[in-house]
Amino acid sequence: MKAVAGDTAQCLSVRDLSVHYGGVQAVSSIGFSVEPGQSVGIIGANGAGKTSTLKALMGLVPRSGGTIHLGDKDLTRVRARDMVRHGIGYVPEGRHVFPGLPVEKNLLLGAYSRAWDAETHRQLEEIYALFPVLKEMRERLAGALSGGQQQMLAIGRALMTRPRLLVLDEPSMGLSPKLVGTILDVLLRLREEGLSLLLVEQNAKLTFGVTSHCVVMENGRVAVRGTSAELSHDPRVREVYLGL
Amino acid sequence: MQDTLQTLVGGLSLGAVYALVAMGFSLVYRTMGLVNFAHADIAMIGAYTASTFYLTAKLPFAVAMVTAIVVTGAIGLVIERVLRPLENKDFDLMLIGTIGFGIVLQALAVLVWGTTGRAVPSPLHTAPLNLLGIRVRTYDLLVMAVAAIAVVALVFFLSRTKRGAAMQAVAMDHEAATAVGIDVGRSNALAFAVGAGLAALAGGLVGPMLYVDASLGGALGIKGFAAAMLGGFGSIQGAVVGGIAIGVLDSYAAGHFQGYSVLVTFLVFTAAIMIRPTGIFGERTVSRA
Repeated sequence: MKAVAGDTAQCLSVRDLSVHYGGVQAVSSIGFSVEPGQSVGIIGANGAGKTSTLKALMGLVPRSGGTIHLGDKDLTRVRARDMVRHGIGYVPEGRHVFPGLPVEKNLLLGAYSRAWDAETHRQLEEIYALFPVLKEMRERLAGALSGGQQQMLAIGRALMTRPRLLVLDEPSMGLSPKLVGTILDVLLRLREEGLSLLLVEQNAKLTFGVTSHCVVMENGRVAVRGTSAELSHDPRVREVYLGL
Repeated sequence: MQDTLQTLVGGLSLGAVYALVAMGFSLVYRTMGLVNFAHADIAMIGAYTASTFYLTAKLPFAVAMVTAIVVTGAIGLVIERVLRPLENKDFDLMLIGTIGFGIVLQALAVLVWGTTGRAVPSPLHTAPLNLLGIRVRTYDLLVMAVAAIAVVALVFFLSRTKRGAAMQAVAMDHEAATAVGIDVGRSNALAFAVGAGLAALAGGLVGPMLYVDASLGGALGIKGFAAAMLGGFGSIQGAVVGGIAIGVLDSYAAGHFQGYSVLVTFLVFTAAIMIRPTGIFGERTVSRA
């Protein structure tokens, strides 16, 4: 399973990241870093700017300011489609599988930036080992899968890019508690293998279970940051941001 | 019975041409979610280019066809490149842009080739075959064979190659396609170029069957568009089935209703679309949030 994660000895560092939509500031000078092998969560209420932060990081929405580095590489001007070549795998919010293509094609497209060879197929088997249900469904169209299966497929596809850092946007959205448990298990396993994770979630239980550090966002800014253990016991965080 | 079969054979070759036009429409729609309204006029340019290289430059028919495909493929690339900035801003404008390019291409055809049009002689001079009492022109067989090869090649490209899978992925989800490293712009450009090549193939092949003039695009385009809709817009099998259906229908209508043949064809088409609005193989391949 080790080969799913690529070379992990790189640290992601985001500084002063800002996003504007028209005249509205969605993200204001947010900064955070993900150390090699570390799992970091971004939590907060709806509309706090979590997804915008991830999209801006990936280059999928224009940034109005800020810098992004992975190790000593400056990714600030790297185009969205090239982020994957720098080892950043992305699982978009709402899964975004390719509905009209078979499951296996979806996974193979994760390896789009490399030649499809024996190594790719070996990697495919590793994804199937991680998500056996995808192997059963390999010939099915991705659009015919259940929400949980589509989420596994979206994670599998991102792993096929051989990321150093896996960026996940609300992987638990719309899933049953049992399936959230499955996703949690998978993320823990990936973390044990040394893959760095950046997780945006509304499900605080999942986030605190997987991550070591968290950033709490409010109105596009960092409201609180700390270790997941501290934050999960902070009564203010629990009440105001998480509604626990 | 003999007459019926004779009409069927005539309809099949014209249907093969409509299928090629429909495939081009569907390919661009399937990969970009865009109906390329310049498609019909690209087919007309293809017909003119092929006939010019065949008749004036005296090149072999096959070479003239390949040249026409390359020329129109380049036109497809230019159209996509010019319209690309509109894709993420206003998709409707992009659609209107393709209509504009259609008008430009028609005007260009009149400037280059004049208004009189031309008849293209068949490149095959062999006598018609006699199959069970039905006369089959060898050129009709050639058209059907070339169309069949084009269908197989396109299906192979889309279902078995990495680039083909990527092109379909782009249509289904821009963002996810970008996140796995697919260059959306390049994928769209390729779709436009291949679509234009298919249009040229249709235009070049139809030259010896119909009369080539600046209005050929309209005649070919409306039937090809109907074929794509009847089969299910975006579906390649649908384009083939729809093309043949329109071709055969056209051929029967021409035999039985003479002057009203186009009316009859489109009445039947309208009825079919009312019964099944998504077409025979209809599916929604593109969603734009």
